[in-house]
Amino acid sequence: MGKNRSHLHLGRRTALGLVGAGLAAPFIRPSLAQQAWPEQTSIPDILKGSGEIRIAGYGGTMQEAQTKGYYESFEKLSGIKVRPFPGANAPKVKAMVETGNVEWDLAQLSRGSIMNLQKTGDYFEKIDYSIVDDGVGKEYRFEYGLEMLLWAQVLAYRTDAFKGAVPTGWADFWDTKKFPGDRAMFGTGGGGWPEMEIALMAAGVPADKLYPLDVDKALASYSKIKKDVVKWWETGAVPIQLLTDREVTMTTVWNGRMAALQAAGVPAAISWNQGLLKRDAWGIPKGAKNKVNAMKFVAFSTMAIPQARVALGIPYGSVNIKSDEYIPAARQEVLPSAPAIKKQLVNYNYDWWIANREAVIPKFNKWLLS
Amino acid sequence: MSEIAQPSPIAVPLGAVRPLLLNWRRHVPLLLVAPLLIYMLVLYALPVLAMLLRSLNDPTWTLSHYTALFEDVVFAKTFWITINTSVTVTLGCLVLGYPVAMGLVRAKAMAPLILIVILLPFWTSVLVRSYAWMVLLGRHGLVNEGLIAIGMIDRPLRILNTPLATQIAMIHILLPYMILPIANALRQIDPSLIRAASGLGATPFMTFRQIILPLSMSGVAAGTLLTFVLALGFYITPAMVGGPRDITLSMLIAQEVDQLNWPYAATLSAVLLATALAILAAARHLPGVGNAFRMSMR
Repeated sequence: MGKNRSHLHLGRRTALGLVGAGLAAPFIRPSLAQQAWPEQTSIPDILKGSGEIRIAGYGGTMQEAQTKGYYESFEKLSGIKVRPFPGANAPKVKAMVETGNVEWDLAQLSRGSIMNLQKTGDYFEKIDYSIVDDGVGKEYRFEYGLEMLLWAQVLAYRTDAFKGAVPTGWADFWDTKKFPGDRAMFGTGGGGWPEMEIALMAAGVPADKLYPLDVDKALASYSKIKKDVVKWWETGAVPIQLLTDREVTMTTVWNGRMAALQAAGVPAAISWNQGLLKRDAWGIPKGAKNKVNAMKFVAFSTMAIPQARVALGIPYGSVNIKSDEYIPAARQEVLPSAPAIKKQLVNYNYDWWIANREAVIPKFNKWLLS
Repeated sequence: MSEIAQPSPIAVPLGAVRPLLLNWRRHVPLLLVAPLLIYMLVLYALPVLAMLLRSLNDPTWTLSHYTALFEDVVFAKTFWITINTSVTVTLGCLVLGYPVAMGLVRAKAMAPLILIVILLPFWTSVLVRSYAWMVLLGRHGLVNEGLIAIGMIDRPLRILNTPLATQIAMIHILLPYMILPIANALRQIDPSLIRAASGLGATPFMTFRQIILPLSMSGVAAGTLLTFVLALGFYITPAMVGGPRDITLSMLIAQEVDQLNWPYAATLSAVLLATALAILAAARHLPGVGNAFRMSMR
């Protein structure tokens, strides 16, 4: 989810997030089916402690999955109390650190939002990798945060809209003759970045040749679909609502949101091919009161079983390679971390965006309003 | 906009022996407003000032964020969209609201009911109302289904996710701000004037044009100003029901905050604030509006 996926920002973002919660309410708990959940029964002494930890996440179904996935077992095993909050975002971390009133010990952000902020000053604690599980891949580790959740920004469509035809990539998304109907795409709201990778793939750029992004080429490609995009969404609930209400026949979505939609019986499906594989990351705000506890929790939550439990609760993937043995095959079919799905996805390059965001976003806005 | 009775300095003669007490009493009005004043200053004015300062001193003292405005096409377009939307919505509120205000004032037994109908949506959050409009205006919403049912259209119109949807929803949300000041002004018109006019042979229309309308201008002015200034700051509604290019200044500010470009967000906020203040200042000199201000100072 990261900064660009949080749906409980200040002001409007809070408001829109509440809509999201409201819209999602009928579909909550789509997948907390009672399978045999793996149970963490003990932890190394170094992860034990006392006191509490205040964790900012996104509330809603995500928080439910995390509570069941690792908050409860962490409390039990470590003796540290977990207090979850909704509304994690980087601007709030900035404000907290600058005013010296750090209310969170840990925040669910992304490599992008953490490094964006860190680039402008000292806003995050360094991660203590000496206690992090060795099953957590190197690619998920960085100095000021640890990626802890895999998700995908993918193509979703109404299965009743195209007489059985199945879109299989972004070229199909752009093809409004073969796949008629309006579209929705992610814009620039919520601190997120436009889906330039998608525009480039629609124009035929191979997935492994995307970065560095050719922004002008992406905008030229966007121009071909612009008149069909009725909404540039900024919170995850919006595309789901648009699909449900038949306002669009195809949209980009955060994969986890689709489970709720499908559980509610809406004829819609994900097309994983060429989706963007993104990651959420834990960041510890500089000067957090319980930063030692936060570090312990970061280590615990990325262990194999806690990661697997979250993936069972909400269809987002694990960053721990050892989690797979705890996840049943049926569940793997909906997880972006499953090998069969992961190989169809494009690894999102946060570093490129961190370096180029300032130049690209005004360009996109200008294009949008032209 | 409503009249606030200014407590007049207490005029009880206390004699020269108690000058201290007299002094204290003279300051009663100030003491009465002091708690709110301090509250507003510390919790509102200072933070706003601190925020606005960022447009000038982040990272160092500079005017560069303001000069950047002139080259920013996105700002120019967004500003235009904001003004354009606010004008349209204010006019819509005026046209729809004035007759309602007249009805409210003339209704006798029904007045409380009408007032409740006006105020009911007022007590509902902007969010819920915007969402309700999504349900109504959607391609398969009530409005489209209704129009198809009565045979006016063959296929659903795209109303949701257009500027029109923004305008419809904003007019609905802002109507009470227009109706109530107008009704207030209408209520203060001396009924004997109207009776005299008709006694002298004026048609209802002439009475309206020459008596009711001019005498209600203070309410119209207050309502128009209030609606316009509030409309300038809208962002939930355009974001939810508006079209793909409906980016208002407030939405741009939110975006800059999220993108961690705070100095520029502060600069845009300063522009929004200055626009609202400039409109208020300029409007003071219009005849009808002047009355509205004087009325509140009375």
